Amino acid sequence: MKRCMRIAAVLTAAALTTTACGSSGSGDGGEDGGDVNLTMTWWGNDDRAQRYNEAIEAYEAENPGVSVTTSFVDYPNYWPARATEAAGRSLPDVMQMDVSYLRQFASNGQLLDFAEVEGDGVDLSGLPDPLIPSGQVEGAQYGIPVATNAFTLFTDAAGLAQVGVELPENPTWEEYHDFLREVATAGGTTEDGQPVYGAGDYTGVFWMFIHWLNQQGIEAFTEDGELGFTQDDLETWLSSVDDLRAEGLLIPPARINQLSPLSPFDAGETTSEMTWDNFAAGYATNNPDVELELQPIPSDDPENPGLFLKPSMLFSIGANTDHPEEAAALIDYLVNDPEVGDVFGTSQGLRASSFQRDAMTMEGLDAEVAAYEESIEPLLVDSPPPPVEGFGTIEARLLEITENINYGTVSVEDAAAQWYSEAEQTLADNQ
Amino acid sequence: MTTVTQAVREREQGRDVQEPRAPRSRRRRAEDVAGYSFLLPWLLGFFLLTAGPMLASLYLSFTRYDLFNAPQWVGLDNFRELFSDPRYRDSVRVTTVFAVVGVPIKLAASLAVAMLLNAALGAKGFYRSAFYLPSLVGASVSIAIVWRAMFNDGGIVDQISQGVGGEAGGWIGDPTRTMPMFILLAVWQFGAPMVIFLAGLKQVPAELYEAASVDGAGPLRRFLSITLPMLSPVIFFNLLLETINAFQVFASAYIISNGTGGPANSTLFYTLYLYRRGFEDFEMGYASAMAWLLVLVVGAITFVFFKTSKSWVHYSGETR
Repeated sequence: MKRCMRIAAVLTAAALTTTACGSSGSGDGGEDGGDVNLTMTWWGNDDRAQRYNEAIEAYEAENPGVSVTTSFVDYPNYWPARATEAAGRSLPDVMQMDVSYLRQFASNGQLLDFAEVEGDGVDLSGLPDPLIPSGQVEGAQYGIPVATNAFTLFTDAAGLAQVGVELPENPTWEEYHDFLREVATAGGTTEDGQPVYGAGDYTGVFWMFIHWLNQQGIEAFTEDGELGFTQDDLETWLSSVDDLRAEGLLIPPARINQLSPLSPFDAGETTSEMTWDNFAAGYATNNPDVELELQPIPSDDPENPGLFLKPSMLFSIGANTDHPEEAAALIDYLVNDPEVGDVFGTSQGLRASSFQRDAMTMEGLDAEVAAYEESIEPLLVDSPPPPVEGFGTIEARLLEITENINYGTVSVEDAAAQWYSEAEQTLADNQ
Repeated sequence: MTTVTQAVREREQGRDVQEPRAPRSRRRRAEDVAGYSFLLPWLLGFFLLTAGPMLASLYLSFTRYDLFNAPQWVGLDNFRELFSDPRYRDSVRVTTVFAVVGVPIKLAASLAVAMLLNAALGAKGFYRSAFYLPSLVGASVSIAIVWRAMFNDGGIVDQISQGVGGEAGGWIGDPTRTMPMFILLAVWQFGAPMVIFLAGLKQVPAELYEAASVDGAGPLRRFLSITLPMLSPVIFFNLLLETINAFQVFASAYIISNGTGGPANSTLFYTLYLYRRGFEDFEMGYASAMAWLLVLVVGAITFVFFKTSKSWVHYSGETR
């Protein structure tokens, strides 16, 4: 009884996470004579949902025999739902996939190899050659890259004008820390009286750490899928903002928790944030006053910011699908159709397919993101292969343990040791 | 509850064995068939939906299972890992504090309200329904969301506490104040134990109070010497039920912390951590081991409660 109730609670929670934000992109398409019904899932926010719904409505109008039932949820809740479906062999026909999880799903036979799709399949001729392997695991294509993104340092020019602080171009880490200090001590506040900071503690973002490692000439993972850096490297990285933490110059974790699921940058309570450049569209949606500027992340060597292009997301087909051809056709449409490119702009990153990119008229923010990715082209290092299995877990754990550092419940040294041994264990378990 | 029914069932089975087997008439057999037919839906549900999955999870607790690959036997590794896992310790601490502090407060609050309602003169039905209302909606997702908003920076709780000179700031982001918030949320849902207390209070014979009053006992004396002993079976029942429930808090913690158990693991309730290990880290074996340890602990607590109950639970009509 007890156990039954607990399972029910877990299932209910899982169901809630999958249905709470669910929406049907097909309208009444399912009932009025659609011969094939495809299921499709993605992670994202309302902005993305509107764009998907628009693209899918157009697809359904062009393909009267096909209807698409969609659902979406935020990124952290997306994976439990997909994993549960995977265990029951009931993955959606088409799903948005992340490189962090591609290996996990693909190497366990959950995803369809695109080579097995009969008929036209997906046209890859528009994709840049170096990008195609990012959707491959052991030589087989399990994911089609939708768009590319690169890490960037976002600043909010409007917010900075208010506090009267400027960030030098191509800052070193020290210059960036000085900038954070200046903003936090400038005494600026938002409209509802919250103090304005330069940024939050960014050392908990695993991708950020990977970029920093690149700057030091260290690979995050070895070819055997083990950690390529030492516990000391991690400790150096985590303690690089010790001074700012000690002086309370980073936005406090309590405030970040209260704002969640918005980020402090969304809320205008920080004036800079380092993340993937396709976040621009989301920031602009959540904070209409923001004036976004993009530049490479800080680096002590301006020639090596450690940046690389990553597929921001891919599309995969569940191996259990009954309609592989139709699913592939939908993916082909979403990846290659010029109209879809216009619908999404750069909200998923810079469109990967030249059929979309060349046909797009980019304005404002989209043009800014595109210009940024062009500007860093000479600086790029090779894209890393799809991350190791268990990447999502260790990524989440770093964020959590950094939060604990900022709450003062654990020292940097202990946090580094704890994370490192857990990460080694996780990677070993997934071998 | 489980334990009660199981105990009854075992006693009945025991008696069956001891009884000499009487030759069964056709009529008895027909009755048996009818009985089992009526039981069938429950039996099917029990074996397919409860016992089956429980046995499966018992097996999984000795394996490494990531949902994608077949489970791999690892013996006691999962249980060994539990004891060296700092977050597991956090989750045990959070859950224990919640149960040990929250349950007595909740029972005291529900008893207090029940006594007020018992003494109320008019509109009893209305008050009873009104006070039960939070329990009807309490477990829902929407309430957790409302609580999140209330306890945020600048939320109503923040404003009130600042108004009376308290510390500024919401409770959501403060690891030292999330637990009080969860206990408040639990106490506020006092409806179910309250109704049971109310029923218990109605059973206390009025002549006991009258006699005590004649002997000069004041209200406190009457409460301590009559109400509490007479209510002890009901208190026992509520205590058991609420304790078991307290170990299973999930939905509110999941929603209020956005599924993370944060800030700083301060809301990492046992079942939430179990869920995260199982469904976010894809470690179903570890999660199953956690589940079984919880079952054992809750079972042990129940056992201890029953054992100690002999010394403080008074059933009327019982002579000692």
